[in-house]
Amino acid sequence: MLKDLGTPTTRSAFRSAGETPLRSAGTPRDVRRRRTVLVLVILACFTLIVLDARRSAGSPVEPLREAAAGVFGPLESTATSARQPVDNLRDRFAEMDRLKAENEKLKKDNEDLTRELTTSDYARNRAQELDKLLKIAPAYTMTPARVIGIGSAQTFSHTVTIDAGTADGVHTDMTVLNGTGLVGRVVRTTQATATVLLIGDRNSTVGGRLNASMALGFVSGRGEVGGTLDYKLIDPKARPKVGDRIVTWGSSGNAPYVPGVPIGVVTSVTANEGSLGSTATVKPYVDPTRIDTVGVVTGPPARPPRTQITGKGN
Amino acid sequence: MTALRIGLAALFLMLAVTVQTSVLTNIAVAGVTCDLTLIVVIALALSRGPEWGAIAGFMGGLLLDVVPPADHTAGRWALSLAIAGYIAGLIRRETSGSPVGPLGVALTVVLGTAVSFFIYSATGSLLHDPSVDWGEFGVRLGIAAGYDVVGAIVVIPLVMWLMGRVKPARERSRRVAP
Repeated sequence: MLKDLGTPTTRSAFRSAGETPLRSAGTPRDVRRRRTVLVLVILACFTLIVLDARRSAGSPVEPLREAAAGVFGPLESTATSARQPVDNLRDRFAEMDRLKAENEKLKKDNEDLTRELTTSDYARNRAQELDKLLKIAPAYTMTPARVIGIGSAQTFSHTVTIDAGTADGVHTDMTVLNGTGLVGRVVRTTQATATVLLIGDRNSTVGGRLNASMALGFVSGRGEVGGTLDYKLIDPKARPKVGDRIVTWGSSGNAPYVPGVPIGVVTSVTANEGSLGSTATVKPYVDPTRIDTVGVVTGPPARPPRTQITGKGN
Repeated sequence: MTALRIGLAALFLMLAVTVQTSVLTNIAVAGVTCDLTLIVVIALALSRGPEWGAIAGFMGGLLLDVVPPADHTAGRWALSLAIAGYIAGLIRRETSGSPVGPLGVALTVVLGTAVSFFIYSATGSLLHDPSVDWGEFGVRLGIAAGYDVVGAIVVIPLVMWLMGRVKPARERSRRVAP
């Protein structure tokens, strides 16, 4: 049998003596077949990329995505509900640093904290989140949903899957929020799942209003893991201050963003180099790594946001 | 036998994609998740060779491309994982079919992570995807490589052992008798 040309035959340390290789490096026919497979696979990939390059609604890959969501949506749901041990583990790691600082306080009001700890189980957390959700936007009809899949940093995109889809009235360009603030918007839906683009993604831009001065600007994602945002004001003379809060100013027809949802708080301001104006760094209220229960704004306000004023002229 | 093997490989890939997207992201290190799919692809390539690596990589990558929450151009992970799988298969060939040692496996995983992540980012850049951030590339690659090696310690022996179980009797006997 022919050996591959120039094959360094480094044997593994684990190889037992007297054992013959399963197959030698390959006959020329093997090599040819192997290369054909590689070329075919690469060609298939390029075809896919070209077909899907514009990612428009008419992309031929779309049915494939829907099928995949149909199969993997339930799977992800199941995996998410079975992840409680993992969640506890994660919480334990996150607590480590905080626990050191809190040790002093713990000694002081040990009883209080013990009670808090025992009650802060998973179900209660979720109930609290739903509670907060009800408080934050009482004016909108919302569909609660759970996050069942999260995009990893290797993909560079900040997206999550939620377990509500068109069957629950969720459609593209709907606002997604949770108890603390704005989460993102729906970019893709299937029957039972929806993909949400988080505000921290580099592709995301949200109109934001400074709470203090009502000045308008744009909040865009930086693509960082913590979800840090950039905020640019439209009026170059207006200056945001550290500690200013930013809320959405809303899009026409309430899509993709409804007005008045808190986005984040300004943590630092730097003047733009070479141009007027300044860029503020915004820390979002929503920690993108810890979102669980969210609400999708599926309907118009249950009551008109403005009540009419009737003046009695002089 | 081949059908059984293919079924087993498909099962592994589906399981890996599900766990990677919905469970492992909850214990991500600085946002970086363990590439379970890549690890399974490498395990399949190491036990079956480059053709299997390339095809398994293509299928696994395709799943990562279309399973939500993916929102990038389909085919990018498919290409990355296919090439990573092929290279892993070649490494197995280089050692003439004998089992690759633990250090070899770890190095293969690191190499596979680097190759796949680089191809994924590079195709993103070529397609003008604004989310690709080369400034973060190094850090994320470092974390991912470390994390993947940790995951590989658990997953690769398991997958290779199971794939080895469904070997035709002919090959198994050849292995015993020189």
